[in-house]
Amino acid sequence: MPLTKEQYKAFEDVVGAENITDDKAIMPAYYNTDFAAIILPKDTAEVQACIKLCNKFKRQFRPICTGWSGMFPKDLILLDLRRLNKIIEINEKNMYAVVEPYVISAELQAELMKRGFNFCIKGAGTNCSAMLRGHGHLDQTTSGDDRNHLAIEWVTPEGEIVKSGALGSADEWFCGDGPGPSIRSILTSAVPPGVTPGVFTKAAVKLYHWPGPAAYPIQGHSPKYTLKEIPANMMARYYSFPSVEKMWNAEIKLGENEICYELMGFNAAMVACNITTCNEEEEEVFAKMSKEVQGPGFFVIIAGNSREDFEFKKKVLEQIVKDNDGISLKTVEDPEIEGILLCQCTRISASIRETFRAGGAFNSIPIMGQRDLTIKWAIGAGKAKEPLIEKGLIVDDGGAFFGWGVEQGHLGKTEIFCKFDPQNPVAKKAVETWQKEQTERAFKESYFASTMGPQDEIGPALCNYHLWWQKIVKAIDPNGVSPEGGALV
Amino acid sequence: MSLEQYKGDMEMCCRCSTCKFIPMQKIQGSDFSYVCPSIAKYNFHAYSAGGRMNIGAAALKNGMNYTPKLLDVVYNCQMCGACGVSCNYAMDMEVLEPISEFRMKCIEDGKTNPALDKVIAGLKKTGSMVPVKGKRGAWATGLKLKDATKVKVDVLYHVGCLTSYDPEMQKLAKSIARILQKAGVNFGILGDAEMCCGGRAYQMGYKDAFLAQAKKTMAQIKKAGVKTLVTGCADGYQTFKVLYDRFNLKGDLEVLHITEYIDRLIKEGKLKPKKKVEMNVTYHDPCRLGRLGEPWIHWEGKKIPGDRFVFDPPKEYRRGTKGIYQPPRDVIKSITGVKLTEMTRIMEYSWCCGAGGGVNESNPDFAVWTAQKRIDEAVSTGAEALVSACPWCEKTLNKAIKASGSSLKVYDVVELVERAI
Repeated sequence: MPLTKEQYKAFEDVVGAENITDDKAIMPAYYNTDFAAIILPKDTAEVQACIKLCNKFKRQFRPICTGWSGMFPKDLILLDLRRLNKIIEINEKNMYAVVEPYVISAELQAELMKRGFNFCIKGAGTNCSAMLRGHGHLDQTTSGDDRNHLAIEWVTPEGEIVKSGALGSADEWFCGDGPGPSIRSILTSAVPPGVTPGVFTKAAVKLYHWPGPAAYPIQGHSPKYTLKEIPANMMARYYSFPSVEKMWNAEIKLGENEICYELMGFNAAMVACNITTCNEEEEEVFAKMSKEVQGPGFFVIIAGNSREDFEFKKKVLEQIVKDNDGISLKTVEDPEIEGILLCQCTRISASIRETFRAGGAFNSIPIMGQRDLTIKWAIGAGKAKEPLIEKGLIVDDGGAFFGWGVEQGHLGKTEIFCKFDPQNPVAKKAVETWQKEQTERAFKESYFASTMGPQDEIGPALCNYHLWWQKIVKAIDPNGVSPEGGALV
Repeated sequence: MSLEQYKGDMEMCCRCSTCKFIPMQKIQGSDFSYVCPSIAKYNFHAYSAGGRMNIGAAALKNGMNYTPKLLDVVYNCQMCGACGVSCNYAMDMEVLEPISEFRMKCIEDGKTNPALDKVIAGLKKTGSMVPVKGKRGAWATGLKLKDATKVKVDVLYHVGCLTSYDPEMQKLAKSIARILQKAGVNFGILGDAEMCCGGRAYQMGYKDAFLAQAKKTMAQIKKAGVKTLVTGCADGYQTFKVLYDRFNLKGDLEVLHITEYIDRLIKEGKLKPKKKVEMNVTYHDPCRLGRLGEPWIHWEGKKIPGDRFVFDPPKEYRRGTKGIYQPPRDVIKSITGVKLTEMTRIMEYSWCCGAGGGVNESNPDFAVWTAQKRIDEAVSTGAEALVSACPWCEKTLNKAIKASGSSLKVYDVVELVERAI
């Protein structure tokens, strides 16, 4: 149902006429949904006022940030958080940065690098919100997921402003667990729905030491930016191994020695995507690299805090790779390619070249847990991709999966995806079926994949958490105005 | 071409928002990270390239849904192409082309902008994109320049509408003429007979008006029998070099921007900037000299059925890589005493001055707002002057300076060169 004139006027009074629209013609710009309205609040107070009006009028809302594809019900009010785009604070002493939702990771990261810091860049890419919760290339040293969310400013579905963690008691952002109210399990649920109702309007993200340069010495023109020189204390390599077991053993040893700034279990197809500037070139390079690699592998960045530290890390890396019969991929030893990958993986988080460029879409199954176990599951999922590759329904990446260690490898993430042309209904259907079947298999084999759901199916296997969650949602959203899929997209 | 031909490209948009920003690895912080003036000012996703592509794809499926807001989106775009550069760092798809086709479709359907209609009516009537005051070649009085309609010359200097008619911009034409004279170039102008290149009509979406004008102008140039055309206007440069080639009008005419030509003359020793010019400057890349000035690539092909968005024959995309970036910089650096400090957004990911795509005429406030952002960026470098290579840029940037009271000066590269020789 569209907004009534009175309702529209009430929202307009909050944000101003230029920051609200119910014009149907421009809604496809967002998604193929008839939203009741799209609203651009500028700060927490306006978000709060809008949410209070949603409660008053019993209208459902959902927020978005940079917002990749999503599914939205009709008649929803879309709160586009684009105007909340400020870096509020970078606290070097306590190692956190406070940001609004539309600060993208590339912006925050650039500011941090100048100060000798970095933070967790999510796999979705540095084009996404710096507040986004998730995992990415740098997990080995910057951890991932909710561990990096410190204090949060949250406008609840009823329009209350809740300040979590340290913010709730000391008006400071340094900790997510207290001395104020933690409520971490509500604010960052890892299981479906995966996001919290309401809107996060500010969050503190945890910072980490950055041993690299204040800015990379980039040269050339798009789409081929290269580094004038590889920073003297950094090195990037790709190693392939004769077996999954040997690769995993090397990964564990590297984690134990804590020498890798990044350890990314890229497959050769993903390396090819990242170092090439178009689809045709990618196919050629992948074919060439497929012959160069001896089996599964990973990409590594080491970064020293001194010349001695760098030399030590290099030596340990070479020894561990040798002990496990690893071979360095010559293509990546070329300084030009090495530089491209350094920049791609730390500053861009690779993502778009390796996901959307080929056909326009991909479906993924990310799976968390101990890497050696999740890799076993992923090998099966990779085999299940092969018939789709043979039929030409998905891009041929050799059936490969990828993944990485988190916090030097005591935890890990494994992921596998199918790239396809979303305009091809047969391909779309085949990929959806593959995703469903492999997610079900993960569930049966007691792995946790974030594609699992719905809640009432997986809840019973997880202490009936869904029943508790439903009670919590009812308590914080009595009018049911904030449907699933909320706070950070 | 038609919107339909870009269906696949529009459907490729994954709504990643990179089109709003400069390429990620070039971002230096929270300042000057945006590349698209339209989304930076108007905020609704519809104003970004991604939003425009998604609207275009929906229009092909469900038909055009004209509303005032849609037309506001359509006409508040400078067609500067920065979105395409950022997108095409990672993606293989056309971006500016479908956006341009969408606007042309609006015009075809009669959903025009009155301010732009007026400009096009003026073009049809007077052969100029700007109001005509006096004679087109009056600026050249007393300079003793050759009339290329009467005398055979090696180089034709095409002055352009704004430089010819705007009293504030005529200084650029005079500077260029004096520089070419100093270098001993056998050049001429068309004077009162010179006609508009038509390029700004194309940017505005009036393809038929552009083609009609372009054919007349090219016929005149062919008649003059010149092999090389030099222009001081970035819009003119892109029109002659790229658009005329695209529509098979250019033939073997060599098209050079004045900065390319001066760079060549300096490197050949025919022009010597000997005098010292003490000045801290920064350089603004005009969109149509830079990213949109790269040569047209003639291509026809079909998508290969299957999982990838690839074509037979393979399609080479224009990603802004081969624009004119170095020659103006080399010219500036050749002048003793001039210190060049770069801004954050340069070359292929340069921020637009605001004047393109008809915005200068349809929404002058937005044009000045865009220019003001560039002024802020220039000031942040510590430069005392912003140097560009296009009269449209200089005019719009000066308007912003006037509006804000900034002490920054704006010069064209040719003005610095003239001081130095």
